Amino acid sequence: MTLSTRKGTVNIVEVNRHDNNIHAGQGTLKGLDIVFRKFRKALFGKANTERDDTEGQFNVQYPEERLVLAEAYRNMPILLYDDATGQELCTSCFQCERVCPPQVIHITQAKHPETGKPVPAAAEFVLEYDTCMSCGYCAEVCPFDAIKMDHDFELSTADHPALDVHYTHLLRPVSYYEAIAPTMWAEVRDAALKKLQNNIKRRPGNIGVDHGQKIAGKSSAAAPKAATPAAGAAGRKQYTGPIAKVGTSMSEDKLARLMAIREANTGKRGGPPESGAHAIEADVATNAAGQVAPSDQATSGSAASKATGPVAAPGKNMSEDKLARLMAIREANKAKQGE
Amino acid sequence: MLKTEELQVNIGPQHPSTHGVFRMLVTVDGETLVDLKPVFGYLHRNHEQLGEVNSYLQNMPFTDRLDYFNSMVNNHAYARAVEQLAGIEVPERAQYIRVIMDELSRILNHASALGFLLGDMGAWQTSLLWGLREREKILDLFEYVSGARMMCNYSRFGGVARDIDDYFISEVKKLMQGLPRYFDEFERLLVENEILLVRAKGVGVLPKELALSYSVTGPLLRGSGVPYDVRKAEPYAVYDRFDFDIPVGTVGDVYDRFLVRVEEMRQSYRILEQALQQMPEAEGGHINPKVKQQSLKPPVGESYARVESPKGELGFYLVSDGSGSAYRYKVRAPSFINLSALADMCKGYKIADVVVILGSIDIVMGEVDR
Ligand code: SF4
Ligand code: SF4
Repeated sequence: MTLSTRKGTVNIVEVNRHDNNIHAGQGTLKGLDIVFRKFRKALFGKANTERDDTEGQFNVQYPEERLVLAEAYRNMPILLYDDATGQELCTSCFQCERVCPPQVIHITQAKHPETGKPVPAAAEFVLEYDTCMSCGYCAEVCPFDAIKMDHDFELSTADHPALDVHYTHLLRPVSYYEAIAPTMWAEVRDAALKKLQNNIKRRPGNIGVDHGQKIAGKSSAAAPKAATPAAGAAGRKQYTGPIAKVGTSMSEDKLARLMAIREANTGKRGGPPESGAHAIEADVATNAAGQVAPSDQATSGSAASKATGPVAAPGKNMSEDKLARLMAIREANKAKQGE
Repeated sequence: MLKTEELQVNIGPQHPSTHGVFRMLVTVDGETLVDLKPVFGYLHRNHEQLGEVNSYLQNMPFTDRLDYFNSMVNNHAYARAVEQLAGIEVPERAQYIRVIMDELSRILNHASALGFLLGDMGAWQTSLLWGLREREKILDLFEYVSGARMMCNYSRFGGVARDIDDYFISEVKKLMQGLPRYFDEFERLLVENEILLVRAKGVGVLPKELALSYSVTGPLLRGSGVPYDVRKAEPYAVYDRFDFDIPVGTVGDVYDRFLVRVEEMRQSYRILEQALQQMPEAEGGHINPKVKQQSLKPPVGESYARVESPKGELGFYLVSDGSGSAYRYKVRAPSFINLSALADMCKGYKIADVVVILGSIDIVMGEVDR
């Protein structure tokens, strides 16, 4: 059916509702047939490495196996410094601070020690990793290519204040960025280094190099958090596709370990290794015992022995008065239930 | 006749298959649903107010977080609204890139939406992962070109952030080699499955007139038999150059919506084919280099731009007072408006059908609550 409108003709198709071909159970069997075929392919077929594959083993056993990240991949911003001289590329021009949508960049400009005039370097640079939305605008607007997006995504920590990352921990050598994004760096390299040379001339003393990073020709291997594992010792791999074969981006000893784990697993299917489970339980128990001790009278000392399940023992991350109040409430409840 | 007591039950706010933090206050008589009151707002992030204090560019990454399945489409719609407001021209090549991203988004959205719908019916993991597998491959491509899988932040005013390269195009072509097989299998896997037919046929019927009066859009409206698609009704970007069909349903039940989505994936595939073929001749680069992205100050005025997002008509309304941030910023979210028809679709059916009907609307709470 076609429909003529002001904007031209529209072709309309009615979907086929399969009203006539309902046979008891045959449709279901057809579907199950596909499922079983795929299942067989997944078990015995080849690993799935191409984007047009629709069959085979798709899983990647993170963290032993890893996909190669695309060059453009952006996680958190980092700041660059020159390998040879240690000079930081940032000039504290405040462009990134201004564009940042959640306003998480905080820069203090360096001042000339004698005249007090601003110097093209940052004295302090704080980035709130916890609120950054990884939009990549800062890297996009920086006229000096000083701020770039990192590939390291394993940033989880229990130490929340540490997520206000300071200059020292934001700095990475240029060679590190070159390793994770070679073509993107090649595009801007010459201009960026030329600008840096100009800015160095206007930096008195050791302003612009004094943020504690290692300098004098250290390679990327010595940099803090040298490289993402994907771009690790084996060097950057060509981005080939979404699905890595077993071991594509692994070091050899890691691959050996993975194979050993898999072998062991096929040996005893079902349940995690026993020793591991015990270790976790023991950990919880000791933790609970340590935390609960000060208010022992209130708890009648039974919490520690019960703390084996996934539920946190009382008092794990509570202030003392809160814990006391909680215990009082529980006591009251117990008394009520007893009546 | 025995009179039974009516009972009120809360479904949600965190039922595993309610597609986000959403509460339905249902009144049941036995197993039959008498009334349903949707309660939302649990995911409110003040999106529209933020859009009025941020600069125009700063608001772009926030639109990613509306319908987080289709951030590419959201970016496109928002960029179009601003371009209209500021009178910015978009090069042809950029338009093609946007269309390619939109249609890839549509495929991944429908694949996962159908997976979730089947999951709601009790097919659990197999069909869900069936949808997610294809989605994953497309998301990898998005990551390659934009830097992020879901929060792409890819459009800029007058174009897109980065140009696509030969590797991207060859990978899309490779992906497309596998897609027809994937669609066929998807259909054979389930469209004739008796369990699906029983759960979906004649359930959650939304009559044409009611659908129009609620102004629902997208596959929900087309499932009810109205051939309305913004890509045809008001062709934006370069959609007027492609030849594609609009699938419609006849009854307006869950099954029709299911079939319409499967067919739309095939039509998206057709558009992709044509777009890739036409793109080498497109003029211009990936972005209009004259636009001042950061300090954009559109003249006083207002604009409304809409696109066909996989969920329906997605529109952005902007009022400018000539300053660097919008005076008024409003989102017409398709999920929100489609959801308003939920109560009428559910009345009279069994309580077990509610989740299936909800799944067939395909909502994302990020967009409903904003
Ligand atoms: S990182 Fe770049 S944009 Fe930000 S202050 Fe430094 S030089 Fe300017
Ligand atoms: S990535 Fe975006 S949110 Fe994060 S610091 Fe840069 S501009 Fe700000």
